Amino acid sequence: MKKNLCVCLAIVLGVLCALPMAVQAQEKVIRIGAMYPMTGRAGLYGIDSVAAAEMAVDEINGKGGANGYKIDITFTDSKAKPAYAVRVATRYITEDQVHFLFGIVSSGVGLAVTEISKQQKKIFIGTDHASTQLTSDKLQPYYFRVANNTFQSMAAGALYLQELQKSKPWKTIAYIGPDYAYGHDQWNELRFSLDRLGVKYQVVGEYWPKLFEPDYNSYVTSLVKDNPDILVTGFWGGDTVAFIKQAQVYGLFKKSLYFQPDAGGNYELMSAMGAELPAGLVLGARHYNNWPDTELNRKFVADFHKRTGRYPTYAAEGAYAGVYAIAEAVKIVGNPDDTEALVKALEGLKIKLPEDPDGFTSYIDPATHQIMQVQAIGVTMPNTDFPPAKMMLGDWKIYKAEDIAPPPGYPNK
Amino acid sequence: MDASFLLTQFISGLTMATLLFLVASGLTLIFGVGNVFNFAHGSFYMLGAYFGYQFVSVWSTNFWIALLLSGVCVGLFGMLAEFAFLRRIYGRANEGGFQILLTYAFILIIDDLVKLTWGAEYKSLPRPAGFGGAIQLGDIFIPTYNLLIIAIGMIVVVAAWWVLSHTRPGQVARAAAVDREIVSVLGVNVPMTMTLVFGIATALGGMAGALAAPLRTVTPGAGIEVIIDSLIVVVLGGMGNFWGAWFGALLIGEVNAFAVAVVPQWATLFSFLVMVVVLIFKPEGLFAARKVRKV
Amino acid sequence: MTNLATRNLKAASLWAFIVLIFVLVPVLSTSSYQVNLACHVLIWSLFAVSFNMLWGVTGMLSLGQALYYGLGAYSVGLMVDHLGRQWYLPAMGLGVLAAAALALLLGLLVIRVGGVYFTMLTLAFAQLGWQITFKWYDFTGGDDGIQGIIPPGILESGTVYYYFVLAVVMLSIWVLKRMAFSPFGLVLRCVQQNPDRVRFLGRRVRRNQLRVYVISSLFSALAGSLMAGVDGSIHTDMLFWTTSGEVILMSVLGGINQFFGPFVGATVIILIEDLVGARTEYWSLIIGIIIMVIVLVFPKGVVGEAMRAKSLLTRTGAGR
Repeated sequence: MKKNLCVCLAIVLGVLCALPMAVQAQEKVIRIGAMYPMTGRAGLYGIDSVAAAEMAVDEINGKGGANGYKIDITFTDSKAKPAYAVRVATRYITEDQVHFLFGIVSSGVGLAVTEISKQQKKIFIGTDHASTQLTSDKLQPYYFRVANNTFQSMAAGALYLQELQKSKPWKTIAYIGPDYAYGHDQWNELRFSLDRLGVKYQVVGEYWPKLFEPDYNSYVTSLVKDNPDILVTGFWGGDTVAFIKQAQVYGLFKKSLYFQPDAGGNYELMSAMGAELPAGLVLGARHYNNWPDTELNRKFVADFHKRTGRYPTYAAEGAYAGVYAIAEAVKIVGNPDDTEALVKALEGLKIKLPEDPDGFTSYIDPATHQIMQVQAIGVTMPNTDFPPAKMMLGDWKIYKAEDIAPPPGYPNK
Repeated sequence: MDASFLLTQFISGLTMATLLFLVASGLTLIFGVGNVFNFAHGSFYMLGAYFGYQFVSVWSTNFWIALLLSGVCVGLFGMLAEFAFLRRIYGRANEGGFQILLTYAFILIIDDLVKLTWGAEYKSLPRPAGFGGAIQLGDIFIPTYNLLIIAIGMIVVVAAWWVLSHTRPGQVARAAAVDREIVSVLGVNVPMTMTLVFGIATALGGMAGALAAPLRTVTPGAGIEVIIDSLIVVVLGGMGNFWGAWFGALLIGEVNAFAVAVVPQWATLFSFLVMVVVLIFKPEGLFAARKVRKV
Repeated sequence: MTNLATRNLKAASLWAFIVLIFVLVPVLSTSSYQVNLACHVLIWSLFAVSFNMLWGVTGMLSLGQALYYGLGAYSVGLMVDHLGRQWYLPAMGLGVLAAAALALLLGLLVIRVGGVYFTMLTLAFAQLGWQITFKWYDFTGGDDGIQGIIPPGILESGTVYYYFVLAVVMLSIWVLKRMAFSPFGLVLRCVQQNPDRVRFLGRRVRRNQLRVYVISSLFSALAGSLMAGVDGSIHTDMLFWTTSGEVILMSVLGGINQFFGPFVGATVIILIEDLVGARTEYWSLIIGIIIMVIVLVFPKGVVGEAMRAKSLLTRTGAGR
């Protein structure tokens, strides 16, 4: 009995002593605490984000930093677990005394971390999670997002479908997407935008396989029976690959137009499937390796390839943009310590990014703290410039940032 | 809903059921003979998929040879895991909890080893030559590769039945499942038998992984998704019962296929619902391998 | 008699000391992160100790206690979200009651079978609970979880909430300890070691199993409801089977045959997770190897091994 307690005490004392004492009186440093998943299904996004963020930090520090401040960025695997990420965020804020929280791929984790950011009044730059809630009804003053949300992708998708109706009259539409918030949000937002545009359509099927479902055969055969003109999907990552591989042999893509405006155009799909990827799929993503054909984008993609030996997925550009947004804000304010001034600086911040076509500069909307960007949607076609991919997107349709933003007050109306 | 659609849906369910069974058969075999619940079985499935990718896409091996080699490699890996680690906890008090932890440690370690070896990018491998298309009967499409999977599943069922009931190693394994001590008194090397059974079971899992790879995505974390479904199948059929696993897989596959067609909104809940309903009436599963210890 | 009295006194003073250490955490800590970490340690300790009543003491290996942990958390989260902050404390009570009721109902189903069947059945029901929570987006928030769960009144302050957690956890562990060493606890140990003899002695095996299942679940729910206020957010992960696995790990690491084993285990695991996670991307490999070493080399756990070392030392010292 006694020994039990002795051991308990020894360990508790150990806890108190072992914890690193946070003494950081360093001068002229911007500390960023980043969290990304680096294991499991979303691990690729995390690893690409880390590489791109480090690239941005090296570039900025190489030029003498932002207003003399060097950037010091720390990465921790969020394990895609909200409770764990919250613990890491708390450690970043109170022990490491970071100036910014940064990153996060999953919206569930993002929602938990934005809560801490609000409570602790610490700026949180979201770089990859896409739930519209974070910049609408769950928005708090210290949150900013530098990548598209699902509403913007789906609004662009709705415009695409509206145009398509003129050239190739379509009537029926079906949806299949993972059975969790991300899958449901996309479908709701697409229909919202279609209705707002006054597009007439008939829904002939809605399917909700579980996230990471390995076997889509029975969904595919049901979809073949529904025979929609347009097949919208809301998968991401490996699920897209599995669905396309299984659906292809049933001839589904010959009858229905495959349409995936949010995550379908991500390079991971092209690199995984190579020549197996069918031509004529209509896909969108938040950044493309072959569009826009600007010097900034070419340099970004080439530098990333030089650094890692592979081409980036879209998560990379989000992380890259996040680091630059922080540097620009610090330049305006003059130091990284005045949080309220930094919030003001970030609101309305203009920043030229690799995904901006000529003549457009991304900016952060002061009302929603959401970055406003041009959105492009393309069609798969042969292109071997980015191996191991054998197909890339082309035949672009471009949508202006102002046309795809959520209406004020969305979703509470 | 016409007859041809019902048939299509049935075949879709059968494909899913066969792959489920191929994974679950190894799981139930290990449990039946060794009383080990191997949570890492999904990770062996994932390893099989990666070996398949390595052989076919990187080293351009013939698909059929690659399939066999993947099974063999994963089986050797499994035997090593049993021989070096699992064996040490047999017979310990509260063994169940230690089994869960040890096999969970396997999951964690294999996940990172895979990431270190192959990176985090998604991999995919093409269907083998001659099995890339579909047979069309009226308005029914049946992918030839799916038919192949179903056929292989049948062969495995029959072969396993024959080995277990007609060969000496099979009989020894079944006897060891009932009473290890007696079998060992009879002069059989029981620990060796256990290692061998573990090897065969993980080889089945690995082969299932390689066989499924042309239809699915080869990615870190792929093992987690199949383990829960296989677990449902094994529990449903009665743990340790080979035929039970086959029936359980069929039930889950078909229930799922028709739930998708009729109530797509709720399809993901059905496999759990089936399991809960069965377990309320038959807590030891549909075909319990032996009398359940009532404690 | 005097011997017993001194032993009690010693135990009581050690208790007081351990509580004192935790009382001092907010005073000695250099950042609120350490208080937050101590909070996690306390709550997981309660969860692990209540789990071990089931496994270490009675020999029933449940792989589904996350169901009750999540139920406790979601009762608080949902009521605060829908009805307002003043419902925080009533929701904790309700969560515990709901868990007890559910445990009674499910317990009747799951204790019909023993051994690994019991384990798999508990896992099956817990996964069903997880799937429902995950899927029922309109009610539970699905995988978005619930945010903004702020405790009411003075509990809103992190330090006050910490002391609240400390008080509840210590009180609960004290109750559980009394139970473990009461005649009821002895019956439970007999149930693990020799159920037939329990029957001969006129005690009912099933009834005692059901009782301990309900008690363990109830305290798991209490731990979950406390967790809701720590970070202000809850998530479906709390119901996933890996959460149930985590408490097994904590119990084994601390020592399943020691009442305080899981307490120590929880402390060590949370620290290891944080230290390893903060330093390497390959945490999964490292933690896997750590678990393997614990299982293969130190099956008695930290407390068990320490006791053995101590008894070996005293034997050689006092002996020949």
